[in-house]
Amino acid sequence: MKRMGRLARVAIGAVTMGAMGMGAFGAPVVAENIVPEAEEATVNTIDPPKLGWFYVRGGWGSAGSSIFDAGTGKMLGMVSTSRDSDLAIDPAGKFYYVAETMWTKVNRGTRMDFISIYDSKTLKLVTEIPTPGRLIVGGFTTNFVLSDDGKTAYDYNFDPASSVNVIDMAKRKFVRAIELPGCASLIPNEGVGFSALCADGTLATVAVKGATQEITRSAEFFDAAADPIYSNVVFDRKKNMAVLLSYTGLVRTVAMGAAPVVSAPFSIQEAGGMRAADVKPLDIAWYPGGMQPTALHRPSGTLWVLMHKGEYWSHKEGAEEIWGLDLATKKLVKRIPVRGHPRNIEITQDDAAMIMVNGMDNNAMIIDSKTGEVKHEIENAGGGLITVVEPK
Amino acid sequence: MIKFNPDATGEKLLRRLAGGTSRRGILSRLGAALVAAPVFPLLPVSRAEAAKPDRSPEAKTAFARSAQTKDDTKCDYWRYCAIDGSLCTCCGGGMHTCPAGSEPSPVSWVGSCINPDDGKAYMIAYRDCCGKPTCGQCGCDNIDRETQLYLPQLNNNIIWCFGTSSMEYHCSTAMMIGAA
Repeated sequence: MKRMGRLARVAIGAVTMGAMGMGAFGAPVVAENIVPEAEEATVNTIDPPKLGWFYVRGGWGSAGSSIFDAGTGKMLGMVSTSRDSDLAIDPAGKFYYVAETMWTKVNRGTRMDFISIYDSKTLKLVTEIPTPGRLIVGGFTTNFVLSDDGKTAYDYNFDPASSVNVIDMAKRKFVRAIELPGCASLIPNEGVGFSALCADGTLATVAVKGATQEITRSAEFFDAAADPIYSNVVFDRKKNMAVLLSYTGLVRTVAMGAAPVVSAPFSIQEAGGMRAADVKPLDIAWYPGGMQPTALHRPSGTLWVLMHKGEYWSHKEGAEEIWGLDLATKKLVKRIPVRGHPRNIEITQDDAAMIMVNGMDNNAMIIDSKTGEVKHEIENAGGGLITVVEPK
Repeated sequence: MIKFNPDATGEKLLRRLAGGTSRRGILSRLGAALVAAPVFPLLPVSRAEAAKPDRSPEAKTAFARSAQTKDDTKCDYWRYCAIDGSLCTCCGGGMHTCPAGSEPSPVSWVGSCINPDDGKAYMIAYRDCCGKPTCGQCGCDNIDRETQLYLPQLNNNIIWCFGTSSMEYHCSTAMMIGAA
């Protein structure tokens, strides 16, 4: 009531001066000086997902993903992403999907797993799809993936046996679970179903056929214990191609399909004219590192990798440089020194090709990948995974 | 490079469990967790036997070369070679003891760590203590032989509070399992 009274007095004062035709110092009264009535609380809407946006998850335990515009560095809104949830963007741009887990009494009581669907313009909850479970872990992009048409979601579960929940996003209904022992890190496989990396060094491909599925395995191509491939695989939907990076810096591309074809590996260090890194201790080299160490600029086929100097088994170490690798020529095309030891990287999928990195300090930087110039530094942007809109 | 396939035993076991139980029942999930518990720590033992590891300083990781045996509230304490999270020794618990009111997970991820006093490698099970908010003290993230999600028993990101009354993560212990 007090506030209303003050606002009313301001309005009356302005109207009185307006009636005299002059302001207090003889200047004409302009419209901005007049407060005709008390303001009402309103709520913004937001544009549908754009290529130039970053979705930045807060640090461990936070419950939101902040949306930043790469051009201005300004925050535009936030998607509710509860702790250890997984975010996916509807390819049609209409919804945000969040696979999450909650309990009836916050940290105890009955467990509830579901996919929350948010309208991309209002950012309000549309509905929830209950699911039988999911792996609760933070920092991975490949536990909840969508088919190219956005009609099917694959949600990884571990309890502690491995399976994948298939969800019909058009009917908004859980369909069934597919057991997938020894495999995780899901990769969409257009027209087939999905593939996954496995502990025996193979790639499993799950051809989903109505109520049944056929699971096939590639030949063994990596050693999951000695030189693991990062679970956060990057994927190009247009080319139906995945890019895999191992702890030592071996890069492989995979042509997805019913029988995916894994390329011969090449060393990221050798691509830069250096000796390939090893798994042996005391062998100082440039290694990839972080939780989300790679970002793929799909239009140009450039893989951006967070790199640091050190010994093997330093695969979570923050970066000293960002390396740009041309996947077609297998050549290192750019090295960008970076501050703050970032552990996550993404890049916008437009011609601007703006990189965002963040790390344990919760701060983010937006860097022009063409010049290496830091365009924006954002305090408290969030220290978790970064998501971008993929080109159609 | 030594060939190691820790998945084979675990996969066989999990397939058998999955085939013989109703996956929808929470009891079967809990059963899988409990039965699988002793298997996970055993897996790297076969690795160690197969590898006949070289314990010379040149073969030690950066962590192993600088690890100490005196202070178990520090990240460089030798058993913590693959731990991720808050040390329970800093949260009112101990090396194999959960702080009051929390509950140990029946399953864990494992590490193979070298004790600098005797130069031998030991299997360490990192059991999470669950059912209380994150302790927040003594946060460590050591990653010797730490892998990714498809090899979950060697991944330290997963919250291992399976089969406990609450899945809330509080802190991590480092239990001795035996010689590697």
